[in-house]
Amino acid sequence: MADRGGFEALDACVHCGFCLQACPTFLATGDEADGPRGRIELMRALEAGELAVDDPAVRIHLDRCLGCRGCEPVCPSGVGYGRGIEAARALLATRRDPAPLARAALWALTTAGASGIVYALARLLRATGIPARLAGWGRFRFAMGMLAASAAKGGGGRGRSVKVGGGAPRSNLHHPPPSSTTSPVLLFRGCVMDGLFAHVHDATVRTLEVNGYAVREVPGQVCCGALHAHAGLREAARQLARVNVAAFAAGDEPIVVNSAGCGAMLKEYAHLVDAGPFAARVRDVTELLAARGPRPGAPVDLQVAYDPPCHLLHAQRIADEPHRMLAAIPVLRVASLPDAAQCCGSAGLFTLLEPAMSRAVLAPKIESLRAASPHVVATGNPGCIMQLGAGLAAAGLPTRARHPVELLDESYRAAGYYA
Amino acid sequence: MTAQLADALADIVGARHVRTTPAERRTYARDGLPTHQRVPGVVALPGSRDELVAVVRLLAAHGVPFVPRGAGTGLSGGALADGSAVLVVLTRLNRILRIDPTNRVAVVEPGVVNARLSAAAAPLGLHYAPDPSSQTACTIGGNVAENAGGPHCLKYGVTANHVLALEVVLADGRLVELGSPGGEPWGPDLVGLFVGSEGNFGIATRIAVRLHPLPRAVRTLLADFASLRSAGEGVSAVIASGIVPAALEMMDQSCINAVEDSVYAAGYPRDAAAVLLVELDGGAEAAVAAEATTVAELLLTHGARSIRTASDAAERERLWQGRKKAFGAMGRLSRDLVVQDAVVPRSALPDVLETIGRIAATYQLTVSNVFHAGDGNLHPNISFDGAVPGLKARVDAASTEIMEACIAVGGTITGEHGVGLDKLRYMPLIFDGDSLAAMRAVRRVWDPDERVNPGKVVPVHACREWAGWGPRATGPGSAGQTRPGTADPGAMPRGSGDRMAV
Repeated sequence: MADRGGFEALDACVHCGFCLQACPTFLATGDEADGPRGRIELMRALEAGELAVDDPAVRIHLDRCLGCRGCEPVCPSGVGYGRGIEAARALLATRRDPAPLARAALWALTTAGASGIVYALARLLRATGIPARLAGWGRFRFAMGMLAASAAKGGGGRGRSVKVGGGAPRSNLHHPPPSSTTSPVLLFRGCVMDGLFAHVHDATVRTLEVNGYAVREVPGQVCCGALHAHAGLREAARQLARVNVAAFAAGDEPIVVNSAGCGAMLKEYAHLVDAGPFAARVRDVTELLAARGPRPGAPVDLQVAYDPPCHLLHAQRIADEPHRMLAAIPVLRVASLPDAAQCCGSAGLFTLLEPAMSRAVLAPKIESLRAASPHVVATGNPGCIMQLGAGLAAAGLPTRARHPVELLDESYRAAGYYA
Repeated sequence: MTAQLADALADIVGARHVRTTPAERRTYARDGLPTHQRVPGVVALPGSRDELVAVVRLLAAHGVPFVPRGAGTGLSGGALADGSAVLVVLTRLNRILRIDPTNRVAVVEPGVVNARLSAAAAPLGLHYAPDPSSQTACTIGGNVAENAGGPHCLKYGVTANHVLALEVVLADGRLVELGSPGGEPWGPDLVGLFVGSEGNFGIATRIAVRLHPLPRAVRTLLADFASLRSAGEGVSAVIASGIVPAALEMMDQSCINAVEDSVYAAGYPRDAAAVLLVELDGGAEAAVAAEATTVAELLLTHGARSIRTASDAAERERLWQGRKKAFGAMGRLSRDLVVQDAVVPRSALPDVLETIGRIAATYQLTVSNVFHAGDGNLHPNISFDGAVPGLKARVDAASTEIMEACIAVGGTITGEHGVGLDKLRYMPLIFDGDSLAAMRAVRRVWDPDERVNPGKVVPVHACREWAGWGPRATGPGSAGQTRPGTADPGAMPRGSGDRMAV
C-alpha cells in the first residue's frame, strides 16, 4: 500500500464515540464537528478526496483542534489521532500558507539568531513589570499575561541561563550527590524554554545533579519543530529534526527535556525522519528524577495543584513520575483538580491563533483553580505555564503557575544542597 | 432544506449553533453503528430548553421532519436524519438541574452524560444505576429514548425502571409533563410508554430519575472457561441458584484479546475461550461475601478453570473498564464493525453461542461475543473490511442468519440497542401486521404527522394495509383535531405547576 503519510493511523476508528468527553473543544461547543470522531470523519474525507482541501468548513474545525491528544488514551481501538491530524494539517498546508500570525510567531520564536533578539527584548520588557500589570483577557493583555507568567517566581530568576560547560560535567555542588554513580545526560534546550524559561533549565540541571546525573550541553541543537509540525509545516519540522538528530548523534546518553511539548515531538521524530536510536534516548526530566527517588529535600509549605500537560500525559503517557518527584518535597501538599487531564487551551500557537476557543477551553480550568485556590499550579510545559499564568492573572487569582522542577529546586535550595 | 429555514433556526439558537455546510453535516452522518450513513439537511444545537421548544415549534410550523440526537453513540442507526430532516442535537442541554439526596431523585437535561450524573451523585453516596457500556459518552436523553440497559441492569433494572417523570416537547411544540417525580402517578404509565420510543414520541426536555445508594459491599469475580458452552452453563447455574448478581457478563476469546491489546487491558486470560465477569453487591459485607463464595463454587463445579476476585476498587474498575470498552476495542480487529443485539432465553445460551460460531465459520467471518449473559442479551460483533468487495453483503447475510437463529429459540431482535434503522428489516420476523399497525397507531397519538425521527422503528413500507388506518392529520394546524386513539397528549394530566422545576 502507498505511503499514506499518517492517515492510516485513523483506520482503527469504529465511531464508538468514547473519545467525545475527553475532547476539550467538544466539551466547549457540543458539536460533533469539534470532536475527535467528527474530525476523523473530515480527515478521512480529505484523504479520500471527498472533501476539498480548501473547504473552509473543514479548515475551521481542523484548525480548532488543540492537538492535545486527550482522545488517544481513552480510545479502545488505539486510533493514532495525533498522527492523523498532523497528516491532515500537512495536506491543508499544501493549499494555503499558514496564517500570517502563525508565520510571524514561528519566525520570532524559533528562528536561530532572530529569536535570540526577540527573546532578549521580551525579557527586558518582562523585567520592567509592565506586562504583569497589563495582564487581562483581551488578546494583547492575555499575551502580556503570558509573558509575565514566564518569569521566575520567588525572586530567583536570572536573566539568562548560564550554560554548563560543553562536554565537561558541571559540579559546583558543595554536597556531592548521594548516588554512587554519576550518569551523564544531555540537555535539550529548545526555543521558548531557552528564551524565556532559563530558570527552569537551571533548576533542571541543579536537581538532576543532586540526583546523580551529570548534565552536559550539546552544541548545534535547534528548536524541536513541534510548532511547525502542528501548523502543518512538515518540511520545516523535518529539517529541524534532522539537525537535532545529527547534533545528538554522538553517544547514547539520555536526552533530558523539561518541556512536555518538545519531549513528545522528540520521541516521535521517527514519524518525520530516520531518527535511529534518538527517540528512545529522550526522557522527560521527571522520568529521570523519579528513577532516582528522587532525593528528598527540605520542607516547602505550599499547596500545589498538579496539572499534567497534555503532551506529557496523553502523548508521552507519563502520569506518575511528576507525582513521585513532588512527593520528595516534605510538607508540600499536592492535589489533582477535577478534570486535571483536560487541556488548558494553550496548545502551542493555538492560544494566539484561536483565542476564542482557547479561552473557552481554559475557562473551566480557571474555575477549578478558583475553587481549590492552591498557592501553585504546577505543569511541565512552557505553553501551559504561560496559558494558566495568564488566565490566573486575568481572573485576578493569586495562584502562580510554575514548572514542577522549580518546586524541587526550591526544596533542594532550602535543604542547603546548593550552598 | 431551505436557507430561510436555516436562518430561522439561527435566529433561535445563534448562527454558531446551526450547521449547514456539507462538511459539517457529514460529521453527523453516522452513530455508533457506522454501517448506516445519512447526511442531515441541517443540524441545530439548541442551548436551552426554551431554544429547543422554539426550534420544535418552528419546525412544526413549517411541517419539517426532525430527528433528536444525543451523543450519537447509539447502535441501531436511530439518531440519523436524511437530507429532508433537521437533526436536533441535544449535547448542549447538559445541565444537572437538581440532585435531591433525601428523596434520591435527580432532574437533568437530556444531554447530560450518564457517567457525569453518577459522578455528581457519588459524593452524596448515590449513583444512577443503569450503566450502558458507553456511559462515559452517552446521554441520559438518549438512554431514555432507547430504554438503555447495561451490565448492572440485571439486578437494578433498565432505564425504564429509573425514570420517574419527564417533561416532553411533542412534535407540534406543546410541552407536556408525564409521570411524577414524587410518587406513583395515577393512570396508565405514560412515562413507560415514552421510554424506549426511540425518538418517535417527541423530545424529553427534562428527565427526573431515581438515584440509588452506592452498594456498601461489592465482590467482583472473573471466571475463566475453556469453552463457550461451559461458560454458558455457568451462567445458567448462577441464575438457577436464586442469587441475583448485580451483573453477569460474558466475553469470548476474540473479544478478550481485543481488550488486552488496548489501553483498557485488564489482565483477562488470553487463553480462555470465555470469561464471565460476575458482580455481587449489597448492604452487608458478610452476606455479599457468602454469595460470592457460593457463586465461585458453582462456577468451579461448572467448568471454570480459575476464579479471580478483584482485591480492591482499582482492580474492580480495571475489570469493568475492559468490559465496557470492549466494543470500541474491536476496531483493532478490522476497519469495520457491526454489532448485533438479540435476546434469547438464558437456557438457550450455550446452543445459540455454538450456532453463532457455526454461522461465523460458514461465512468465514470474525465474530466476537461480549454480552449481558445474565439477561440472555447477546452482542455478536462482526469485524470486516468494508473495502473488500462483496464482504458487506456476507456480513448482512450472517447478521440475518444470527438473528433468525435467536428468534427460532424464542428470542427477540433487540435487548437494548433499539430498532432504529438497522433492525427495521427484522420487525416483520417477530410482529404480525396487526401488531405493527398498533405500534404505529400509538406513535401517531404522540406525533400524528410522523415527523419526529421518521422512518425508524416500525417499518411502514412493508404493510400497505396500514395506510388506510385512521385519518392522517396534516400540517401544523392539526394540533387540535380529533385523532385516532384515546390518549390525546393535550389531555394528559399536567398536575399543578411545574413539578420538575429546579
